[in-house]
Amino acid sequence: MRKILQRMAQNSMYAIISIVSFLLLWAIGVQLSDIKIVMPGPWEVIIDFVDSFIHPVGRYTMPVHILYSLMRVVPAYIVGSVVGITLGILMGWYRPINSIFRPIYELIRPIPPIAWIPISIVWFGIGEGSKWFLIFLAAFVPVTLNSISGARSVDPLLIKCGEMLGASKKHMFRTIVLPFSVPYIFSGLQVGLAGSWATVVAAEMIRSTEGVGWIIISSMDTNDVAQSLVGIMGIGIVGFLLATIMRNVEDRLCAWTVREV
Amino acid sequence: MNENIKVRVTNLSKQFGDLKVLDNISFDVLQGEFLCVVGPTGCGKTTFLNSVTKLYEPTSGEILIDGKPVDLQKNNISYIFQEQSTMEWYTVEQNIEYGLRIRGVPKVERRQAVDEVLEMVGLKGFRKYYPRELSASMVQRVVIGRAFATKPELLLMDEPYGQLDIELRFKLEDELIDLWRKTGTTVIFITHNIEEAVYLSEHILVLTNKPSTIKKRITNNLPRPRNVIDPEFIRLRNEVTELIKWW
Amino acid sequence: MRVDSTGSVDTVISCQRVSKEFSSKRGTTKVIENISLEVKRNEFVVLFGPGQCGKTTLMNVLSGLDTATSGTVYSLGEKVVRPGAERGVVFQSMALFPWLTVRGNVAYGPKARGFEKSVWIEKSDYYINLVGLKGFEDSYINKLSGGMKQRVGIARAYCNEPEVLFMDEPFSALDAQTRYLMQEEIMRIWSTEKRTIVFITNNIEEAVYVADRIILLTNCPAKIKKEYHIDLPRPRDYTSPEFLSLRDEISKNMDRTL
Repeated sequence: MRKILQRMAQNSMYAIISIVSFLLLWAIGVQLSDIKIVMPGPWEVIIDFVDSFIHPVGRYTMPVHILYSLMRVVPAYIVGSVVGITLGILMGWYRPINSIFRPIYELIRPIPPIAWIPISIVWFGIGEGSKWFLIFLAAFVPVTLNSISGARSVDPLLIKCGEMLGASKKHMFRTIVLPFSVPYIFSGLQVGLAGSWATVVAAEMIRSTEGVGWIIISSMDTNDVAQSLVGIMGIGIVGFLLATIMRNVEDRLCAWTVREV
Repeated sequence: MNENIKVRVTNLSKQFGDLKVLDNISFDVLQGEFLCVVGPTGCGKTTFLNSVTKLYEPTSGEILIDGKPVDLQKNNISYIFQEQSTMEWYTVEQNIEYGLRIRGVPKVERRQAVDEVLEMVGLKGFRKYYPRELSASMVQRVVIGRAFATKPELLLMDEPYGQLDIELRFKLEDELIDLWRKTGTTVIFITHNIEEAVYLSEHILVLTNKPSTIKKRITNNLPRPRNVIDPEFIRLRNEVTELIKWW
Repeated sequence: MRVDSTGSVDTVISCQRVSKEFSSKRGTTKVIENISLEVKRNEFVVLFGPGQCGKTTLMNVLSGLDTATSGTVYSLGEKVVRPGAERGVVFQSMALFPWLTVRGNVAYGPKARGFEKSVWIEKSDYYINLVGLKGFEDSYINKLSGGMKQRVGIARAYCNEPEVLFMDEPFSALDAQTRYLMQEEIMRIWSTEKRTIVFITNNIEEAVYVADRIILLTNCPAKIKKEYHIDLPRPRDYTSPEFLSLRDEISKNMDRTL
């Protein structure tokens, strides 16, 4: 126990050192060079960032922008994940389903979500629909891929074992294939979440008046580098928080994969 | 200090947090001796070994080789573990040569040493083979050959034959004894298997359960070649079993 | 009242002229050749042979996990074509479900076969207790030691109340001392709950300790080389002269893998 605490203390110490030295380098670099014309120092950005919680950037304050972005990401991400998990597991486990869907999936897989922007506008208009569609794709593709490999990797011995114990195919799907795939699914969910959150910025380029993506886009019009950096900071922090939440959920659900004595 | 003492362990203790694994262990290993260490399951035999090899820093106590603290740079110590750790991408002779190469032994000497070892472990015709083309027993011989190739002053073996069937084990044990007698290497051999300890050893160190101390040091004078159904052999085997039986 | 190899009440599992070949690019390898055997009710039979001699393949064929290239396997007079609940298996690699607790693993069979909760609770309680894991019902598998894991494997196979239990080198991953303990334990469990057991091992000491009958197999392809009826009284003494001379004799008759 004391060892673990010690290690945690050590890890956070390294984290602090690395962040502080990064900020220091940034500050010194800006001070000592001409870059300050196009690059504000770290203090300025941090102060602007804090300030964005009190004084609106554009129409809203930072928390409201974040909420708008989350409202775009969360529903589309959930739908994309659910569809991805279902399709992926079925594709991984049932050969015919794989044969049917694999070619289409393989065609969609390499296309980056932002390539769909024009089509999504044509199909879903410039409102929320097109944004949801892009984020859906960003979640769906990696989640499906990992779910497939999860269902594929099920230890054949465990299946034999289920047969030996008299379980039906259906029962084994529920009690062996699914639980076995959970850790794989979660790594897909992590990748999908990062992708979705990154895609929202692109999606908010389509046309919006709010959201963290908008903060960045609008800074282009006003040539306000600090605002751009504030937006980037917001995206980074929220993305980090989402990934952390996800990891905690995973630890909770997959307690059995954690090996400890 | 006695000239004949190869390894001297004094008051060795090792503690992980609140868990005391080794408690004040002292013993000597003589030059050229075959020492077996046995103890109940989970008694910290591996911690013991790792302390000797300096993988762990002991909590207290010291280990001397030839009267000086262990220095892995200077002391030539070889290990053999249970897992068959050949390098699959090297041939038999490259495997055996490996330890010599990292020690910077010149090529001519390497060739000669490898030839000698191949002869000793009976793999002369297989020098160009890769480990996966060999049977389990031959792979074991490669592992042993590699360990002996550097002419180690101390050979540490951690249950190398734990997973082998009896016939094969007996055969490899006989070969090991043969090699040991030819080379005069000092061997510390750790095992769970009491019969194996009685078969191989000159001395048996019986450890207690955690925190492990030395329960007894038994001298094994049975004449070689030994016979596992010889009454004297069985008497000694039962004596050691009584000392550690927990099951 | 043994009638014949297929329909007798006394014979739980039998096979006739079973052979098994594996084909690969290099050609076909015969792993089992022409094996016929019968196992009587409540008999403890050990299949013993050198290293990779095809013991596990034979067990897979007998239990229905694999099919024979030729020949037939009968279980209570019925042809065996697939795995089934009447033939339980304890695997060398344990093959436990890590996402389930001890209880979940042991009760898996009865649950899968649709028994009511009260029934599978009762059954699993009984067998968890029998293998000595009382108090560990809610532990996950990765918290258990090797010996305890295999106790779960044994309880899981037992809990389905199969006609015959196949055990494929169940203790080979354990250290020598835990192995002795588990050999004593399997004898205790078997004498409390008599079952027909087909036990595979490559450890002759273990074979002589547990077996009513040892079937010695040849090296690949596996054929029956010899059979030994072990009449030593139980519990057996590993170091008695009778035990050691049997061990020596059988071991000398075994084909060498060297």
